[in-house]
Amino acid sequence: MKAFAPGIYPRSEALVQATRDLDRGRTTQEAVDRQVARDLEQLVQAEQSAGLDLLVDGMLRWQDLFRPLVDQAEGLERGALTRFLDTNTFYRAPAATSASPKLAAPLGEEYVAPLPGPRLLTLPSPYALSRGTGASPKTIAESVLRPQLEATEAELVVLSEPFLARDEEGSLDGLADALQTLAGAGPKLALQITFGDARKLLEAGLADLPVDGIGIDFYATHVTDVPEGLDKLLLAGVVDSRNSVLEDPRELAAFAERLRSERGVEQIALTPNGDLQYVSQQIAQEKLARLGRAKTATTEAAA
Amino acid sequence: MLRIFRGTGVCRRYARETMAEIKFLTHEIGSLAKPPWLVKTNAGSPLDESDREHARAWGEKLRVKGYEELIALLEADKRDPDEIARWASRYALRLQEAAGVDYVWDGEQQRSEMYAWAIAHSNGFEPRGTIRSFDNKYYSKSAVTGPPSLRVPFHNEEFSFLTSVAEHELKIPITGAYTLAVWSYDEHYAPQTGRLGAGHGRSEELEARREFTLDIARNLVRPNLEALIELGATWIQIDEPGASTEADELDLFVESFNVSVEGLDCMFSTHLCFSDYNLFFPAIEGMAECRQYCVGFANYDRTELGTSGADRPGYEVIAKFRDLPYDPILGLGVLDIHTDYIEPAELVRDRILYAVDVFGDPARIHVCPDCGLRTRSWEVAYEKLSRMVEGTHLAEEALNRAHVAAR
Repeated sequence: MKAFAPGIYPRSEALVQATRDLDRGRTTQEAVDRQVARDLEQLVQAEQSAGLDLLVDGMLRWQDLFRPLVDQAEGLERGALTRFLDTNTFYRAPAATSASPKLAAPLGEEYVAPLPGPRLLTLPSPYALSRGTGASPKTIAESVLRPQLEATEAELVVLSEPFLARDEEGSLDGLADALQTLAGAGPKLALQITFGDARKLLEAGLADLPVDGIGIDFYATHVTDVPEGLDKLLLAGVVDSRNSVLEDPRELAAFAERLRSERGVEQIALTPNGDLQYVSQQIAQEKLARLGRAKTATTEAAA
Repeated sequence: MLRIFRGTGVCRRYARETMAEIKFLTHEIGSLAKPPWLVKTNAGSPLDESDREHARAWGEKLRVKGYEELIALLEADKRDPDEIARWASRYALRLQEAAGVDYVWDGEQQRSEMYAWAIAHSNGFEPRGTIRSFDNKYYSKSAVTGPPSLRVPFHNEEFSFLTSVAEHELKIPITGAYTLAVWSYDEHYAPQTGRLGAGHGRSEELEARREFTLDIARNLVRPNLEALIELGATWIQIDEPGASTEADELDLFVESFNVSVEGLDCMFSTHLCFSDYNLFFPAIEGMAECRQYCVGFANYDRTELGTSGADRPGYEVIAKFRDLPYDPILGLGVLDIHTDYIEPAELVRDRILYAVDVFGDPARIHVCPDCGLRTRSWEVAYEKLSRMVEGTHLAEEALNRAHVAAR
């Protein structure tokens, strides 16, 4: 049993204020940088004390799931401010200025911060990043994501996919080709279906995609939709990133046991069901702690 | 021919088409940035000379009556935040009036923010921290933990004060029930246990959301509307930026609007922004008490000039508003509030001319920004609003010239 927390982590109240002040010309970039460093240190401490297996940097400088890659890619640009799913958080939808966008250079340490231990990196899935640009997921995978993967040292890269479960026209076909393009580029890959019911995708063969792990939101997906005997790492989204209610670690541990006993899943990582940035940092920190306690409870029960 | 809007007559007397003149009504949508001397006063922080200079320079520029009194107040170590906020209201009103906007409001100078203010003055909610809206913009989010109810009508003092100092007509915005619900965590109505792996369908969530939203409409929004009407409000804008958050809850948005306003004697409009507006149809066909939809379009539009459909992709959806069976006015968003780009007057003009061409009736078009301008500096907001008014005049001139030539 493992546990970790992919995705964008919420900023502290201090960082919220610092970035607000920066926008209003009331503070300096250096002051914001110092607060980002403090937030990162606090996050790493929270992850370590929770006993999470892979560290994340929380993507504290990422303005949305796509922004640094869009800014760093030739042939992509920031598009219209767009509502993220059914939240009150918005992102700049990627837009293409060329049929074949490509990453000019891998992201630097401001976006992929060095960490004191085995790490996980979150990137947008090829489908999500290509959505609405006119470029194919395969093109985006080859020319934007693969160069980033090749430059990445991580135990696991989680490709975050918020749209596919909700898009009526969404198909696994193009995504499978794109993921094949990424295979062997370096780190192990997991595709996480965030904030949505994965049933239809699972029925269409989600678990057969050429990745090492699949992420499922279990606040939207029924446990019986998981293929029996899934032989990949299951990123079990058991912490609800969009709900302020704190989870009971015993309930999470019991659910993990159900995945093992009822669905025959052997490789499980307990995770949030999407970016924790949809709760405040105080709540997110407590959810991380409970994620860790759930993992401990599950491991002890198994022993 | 002067067509009077049914009910209150506050709208179409501007957006009228007479034998000799077409004139569009302009209005602001909601928020404006708070000046530094108010922000620091609210935070209990000391002021410096730059803050007093800000108050002095804008006081002179906008010709705020008696602004020297504010400067004197800002010299003091201790300041009354409410008194300073009322000064900020005067400045905000004058900023819009000086830009030439017809219907004005104070841009939330006396409110913390559209969601937080309403929640803070209601029972049944608890704060849950700060969440990102976009980039470095955030909002405070609360959870409903019990039945929502009104502590006291929470816009009365503000409205009474603004009525006493505004030189132009007033419109008052109030946050709508659906947005208050959908922007809150639900720790009271929705099931909190047994959700994991249960594949809860939308039906459970919808029922909980419906109960929550309608409780807000009945017990928070409607009592506030009644109080404002009692004080003399003639145009109330019910802000619903969250309206299209859930595509399958649009009927609930409509129901909550209707429950909020049914039988009340006032001009009601709503504000929608940053959504796929196609989602609203056909649901809002059932929202006949809404006499104006103020909608943001510029954010999706190009900045090149032109009045054809191809030139104005951000406005493609407006024909659907035209075809609503009860002929509401469209508050045409012509300013992108997310950038410092100052829309040239000619671009504003072309956006209006395109809308008039689609609607075929200038009386059904009003002109406004996409949304509140609080994320822009006063300098940028003032320039944008000034160009909006200037562009509106250009559109009026173009249409009136064509009108005269056709006679």
